[in-house]
Amino acid sequence: MRSSPSSTQLVSRSTAKGRRERRRAARRRIPWWMMVPAVFLLAVLVVAPFGVSIYTSFTELNQYTLTDWLHAPWVGLANYVTALTQGNALGASALQSVGVSVAFSVLTTAIITPIGIVAALLVNKPFRGRAIVRALFLLPYVIPVFVNAIAWRLLFMNGWGLVDQVLAALHLASKNTYWLIGPNSFWAMVIADVWASWPFIYLMTLAGLQGISQELYESADMDGAGVFRSLFSITFPMLKPVLGLAVLLSTLNHFNNFTLPYIMFGTPPPPQADVLPLNVYVTSFQTFNFGLGAAMSLITLVLMMIPAVLYIRSLRLGEDMT
Amino acid sequence: MIASVRRRRQVWAVWRAVGILAFACLILAPLGYMVVVSLTPDSQVGGGAIFPTHVAWGNYVRMWGTINLARDIGNSLLISASTGVMATLVAMGAAYVTARFRFPGRRFFLLSLATFQTIPGVMLLLPLFAIIVVLQTALRVTLIGTYFTVIMTYLTFALPFASWLLVSYLAAIPVELEEAALVDGAGRLQVVRHIVLPLAVPGMVVTFVFSFLLAWGDVLFASVLTNQSTRTLAVGLQAYVSAGETGGDVYWGQLMAASLASGLPIVVIFLLLQRYIIGGLTGGALKG
Repeated sequence: MRSSPSSTQLVSRSTAKGRRERRRAARRRIPWWMMVPAVFLLAVLVVAPFGVSIYTSFTELNQYTLTDWLHAPWVGLANYVTALTQGNALGASALQSVGVSVAFSVLTTAIITPIGIVAALLVNKPFRGRAIVRALFLLPYVIPVFVNAIAWRLLFMNGWGLVDQVLAALHLASKNTYWLIGPNSFWAMVIADVWASWPFIYLMTLAGLQGISQELYESADMDGAGVFRSLFSITFPMLKPVLGLAVLLSTLNHFNNFTLPYIMFGTPPPPQADVLPLNVYVTSFQTFNFGLGAAMSLITLVLMMIPAVLYIRSLRLGEDMT
Repeated sequence: MIASVRRRRQVWAVWRAVGILAFACLILAPLGYMVVVSLTPDSQVGGGAIFPTHVAWGNYVRMWGTINLARDIGNSLLISASTGVMATLVAMGAAYVTARFRFPGRRFFLLSLATFQTIPGVMLLLPLFAIIVVLQTALRVTLIGTYFTVIMTYLTFALPFASWLLVSYLAAIPVELEEAALVDGAGRLQVVRHIVLPLAVPGMVVTFVFSFLLAWGDVLFASVLTNQSTRTLAVGLQAYVSAGETGGDVYWGQLMAASLASGLPIVVIFLLLQRYIIGGLTGGALKG
């Protein structure tokens, strides 16, 4: 591990050259001990559990076999079959949850992207009071997710929640729309999430806008290009890489979404809002079918690998991180 | 020509004002409603009236008694701060080596850090729970419900993220000072302590704050791994809500008062450190 070249040891220690050589060797020597705690903890806390998770997905692990899970009965692919066909006793099947999760993450990302871009364009150029507006725009994002979920649970309460009251006053919907159960629950979750997560796109867009040279706009202006022409010919093409990354990250984050539906709907959630992580949670910790839960979480992971691989490839590891 | 430019600016200023106003309304309406409900007497919350007949400041007093709010906040502070310190210190070592040296496996390590951040928490909670249960019976110790267990499991998401943040931060610090010190005969440990650490303090603060916030916002791990006396604020507040599921009354007024009181410090931290934190937000801070 320690790469001290043998040649330095041959040189007499008293010579100046030898001293220099030794110091250079010390400079090159990698202080591995500094890395040991992190690597050890990651191995114990992430890699090992990951392996256990794969193993248990092939076993019939439940509350009876949990204390001796190494000897839980081996059931092969049965958990995967169950996951895709029926799911746990309380909620949707994993396949249905896959649909909910994919729809949720794609839809929310599709909605927050234009909102975030518009917000960024609004505050990109300096004006009086901009600092306050920027702080205001961050507000929904910095509120803890569990607080956000509690607030929207209140807002969507049937009959007397603010949403139902406003919709009824505007004659848009009945006071008894039932946002927190049944098919509307999916939309309630989407609305609550959009309210909280659009500043992510906004922040990414702002960062991207700062990278666009002002000269581009000036020369476009000289050539007689209007505001919209500049927007579509300069701003959007220049934002494309940043936005690509933002959309990927947003899709990933939303696929991991657990806290919002868990607190908004409680458990078991309505099947229409039963996202995969929540379904895995209920399967594992409320119906105690750990083997099935593990199989479902692996299905989740495989699906997430699609945006994750795209994201990791976009990082270009080792090139910009020197 | 100049007149038309000025006119165009005025039109844009109007549109901008309209846009910002619309955003402000949509952002503030739910928050305003939370404030109103937090000041509404329990008996009037479900009545349908948006504004209460009198202001019930009492909610902000009684919220400390309905659940043990002070203890829950204390637990959250202890667990989140410990997670932040642990993650930052442990990540610092790995990040320094990764940022300063080329070695076989370096790329693999970076790749792992990025990959670990995308693993769903619930996927790790399940096997961790199984492992902890086995350790409990084998060693005859209590692990579930202890601060130690919760903090360690929070490292599953805090550590990869903290390492990732610090690698990019340290890579941006010029290496010349360190090399000069090494040439002058300083050891690696001295270099790290006297040169790298002082320069890395802002990055470490951001890393600490982010790890703290990740831990503060977690519900998943806490709901399984804490017990009545170690439960965090998020789990405590959820106890208010689930009272309604089992047929009891939900004290919405108190719940909103407690939610606002617990959200406020976080918002203040963010706004104070805004400039430093935004880099971390856009740099892949994962909210779950």
